[in-house]
Amino acid sequence: MTQVYQNEFVFGEGGGKGTNSTQLASAPSLLKTLSHAFREKDKVKKSVVANDDIKTIGTTFSHLSMSNNESSTSLNLSSSPKRINNSSSSLARPKVSKRNSFKFDSPSLTPRHSDQYTDLDDDWDADVEHGLTTTDSAPKNLEFRPQTFEYPTLKSKRISGSVDSFAKVKSNTPLDDYYEVNKTKELEAAKEKEEMIAVVSKINRYKKILNEQTIELPKLKKMAWNGIPEELRPLSWQLLIGYLPPNSNRRDLQLQRKRQEYLNGINQVFASAKEQTTWHQIEIDIPRTNPKIKLYTYETTQRSLERILYLWALRHPASGYVQGINDLCTPFFQVYLSDYIKDGTAVENFNPGELTKQEMNNVEADTYWSLTKLLEGIQDNYIHAQPGIIRQVNELKDLIKRIDFDLSQHLETENVEFIQFSFRWMNCMLMRELSVKNTIRMWDTYLAEPNGFSEFHIYVCAAFLVKWSDELKKMEFQDIMMFLQNPPTKGWTEKDVELLLSEAFIWQSLYKNAAAHLR
Amino acid sequence: MSKSNLSKYKIVFLGEQNVGKTSLITRFMYDTFDSTYAATIGIDFLSKTMYLDDKTVRLQLWDTAGQERFRSLIPSYIRDSHVAVIVYDVSSKKSFELLDKWIEDVKIERGENVIICIVGNKNDLTDERQVSLQDGEAKAKAHGAKIFLETSSKLGYNVKSLFKKIAKTLPEFEAAGKSGEEGASEMIDINVENTTTQDGQCQC
Repeated sequence: MTQVYQNEFVFGEGGGKGTNSTQLASAPSLLKTLSHAFREKDKVKKSVVANDDIKTIGTTFSHLSMSNNESSTSLNLSSSPKRINNSSSSLARPKVSKRNSFKFDSPSLTPRHSDQYTDLDDDWDADVEHGLTTTDSAPKNLEFRPQTFEYPTLKSKRISGSVDSFAKVKSNTPLDDYYEVNKTKELEAAKEKEEMIAVVSKINRYKKILNEQTIELPKLKKMAWNGIPEELRPLSWQLLIGYLPPNSNRRDLQLQRKRQEYLNGINQVFASAKEQTTWHQIEIDIPRTNPKIKLYTYETTQRSLERILYLWALRHPASGYVQGINDLCTPFFQVYLSDYIKDGTAVENFNPGELTKQEMNNVEADTYWSLTKLLEGIQDNYIHAQPGIIRQVNELKDLIKRIDFDLSQHLETENVEFIQFSFRWMNCMLMRELSVKNTIRMWDTYLAEPNGFSEFHIYVCAAFLVKWSDELKKMEFQDIMMFLQNPPTKGWTEKDVELLLSEAFIWQSLYKNAAAHLR
Repeated sequence: MSKSNLSKYKIVFLGEQNVGKTSLITRFMYDTFDSTYAATIGIDFLSKTMYLDDKTVRLQLWDTAGQERFRSLIPSYIRDSHVAVIVYDVSSKKSFELLDKWIEDVKIERGENVIICIVGNKNDLTDERQVSLQDGEAKAKAHGAKIFLETSSKLGYNVKSLFKKIAKTLPEFEAAGKSGEEGASEMIDINVENTTTQDGQCQC
């Protein structure tokens, strides 16, 4: 049992909840609401649906626990000691962070951590047993799993070996602590290597998909949902958003044609007198687009964005330029620009003036067409009276009523209207709440979803709101408003975004198309 | 939760875009200035407690977006407000001319049952001035605005004074204001200081 215990210890925190305390805190609260949701759902549909649902949860949490390493097995919902003990599951446990290794230095922390893990596990079980039987998770990327296993198998023996001896040492000698630290470091190193391998293998699998003559978009989407490796993002996004054709033979030609088309458009609209209102509007918004990020303070960046937005506005008179569209432009710009940076400068610090005119034209054109595609899907967000946003706000309100009735009641009592705080969430796709970097990760998933920006986004907003439920329920009107306009997301990392996406995925699978009979 | 007993007053900020509505509020709230605020989307909310004599009120400030597309949201906020602060930019004739339209919007929603303030912001831009102080005053008078001021959020000029004047018009403080009359110094408002020197402008 010692061994099991050690295993639990080692992988406890890495077990998917991340080291971030907000994540640790939010997982149980999600489960709480989730179990409530199940109960509600149960009333409506009986067991037939239940199996599917739990599968979904398995999927989601496996993704959640893997973070960007979706190669390993999914989080084990039925955590029997046997399973934990077995080597393949130990290798399957995701990342042990560096932070974790420091914690090992202080043995007194040991029990607390293992407790934490057990607690959470109990929670899993509690919810799973709550009227639901299947514990097998069905990962989204089922077909990729066998491949992944091949890599670490050899490793895993070594690792489980070291775990064994580690356990023995601990129980035998008085120099426990000393050895513990060393062994742990060894284990740590092995883990890190393994992680690297997993990352590389993920990139390789990804490349394989992208290198096919005709790319299978469903496959690409499945991979992209869990995050796209940085270097492969430009191409992936262009494919996912439908700017480039899946058939690689036609791709170069298409790029050439579209880039030329963009240049022609620019020449055309700038040849005639500027449409003053639109131009003025864009002109004043450019300097206040991400002013805190260096990239956006450079002349070249500002002029590029100006041209893109102006051309788009003139070509789409029904909506014209609406504030917020400038925000939506930046993830594309940043991602496509990053493809041209040779010296490893972070894109957010890069001066695009260093690129050739031709290169900048390419970045601009690609950004323009991608933005066009994106906005095609959410056109009614920006036309007169913004009906798309009003619809989304109402959907969010309905959704919260089902997901978190107490919160919805509290907001109503305090006279907080959803439109007051979530209008901007819809208009700017949460970009005012999240960093551009985190937004980019979020869009990997949005682009992989069938209606990422118009539908899935509402579930993301729901997850975002419910995340602060406990705090909000203690606040009165002005504090709620102030909080929601400035939520504590400054320190958010990719992991926080991925947790949010996973939660959104759950709400979507529970409530999508289920609105009618629950109303 | 005892705070809930405070009287709350809603103040809506209106005006063309880029005249400095957000800057004005931010200067008042945090006494800071930044030339690059992201454009306001829809409506933003801020709340501040003000102290005067023995009374305390809470000001709820609604900062609206200037862009045309977001206008459909605004009427419901005007309807709820006790005070409408309409801002123009002294360096933009256009923003001044469009004041009439904003005032009309307010009157449509609230009739005479609202306190209108007119504020000419950015008065630090002396070289670029397109609207004179006199024109501003005349317009304010013509529309029956209770308060008219020129301000500079950048320099912090007249901003506290503006909010102090606004507070004086609220039912809570009206009596206090009258009894004290010249008594700006009687304001025990920790946020509003040094305003006496700036009070030289039209009080309409």
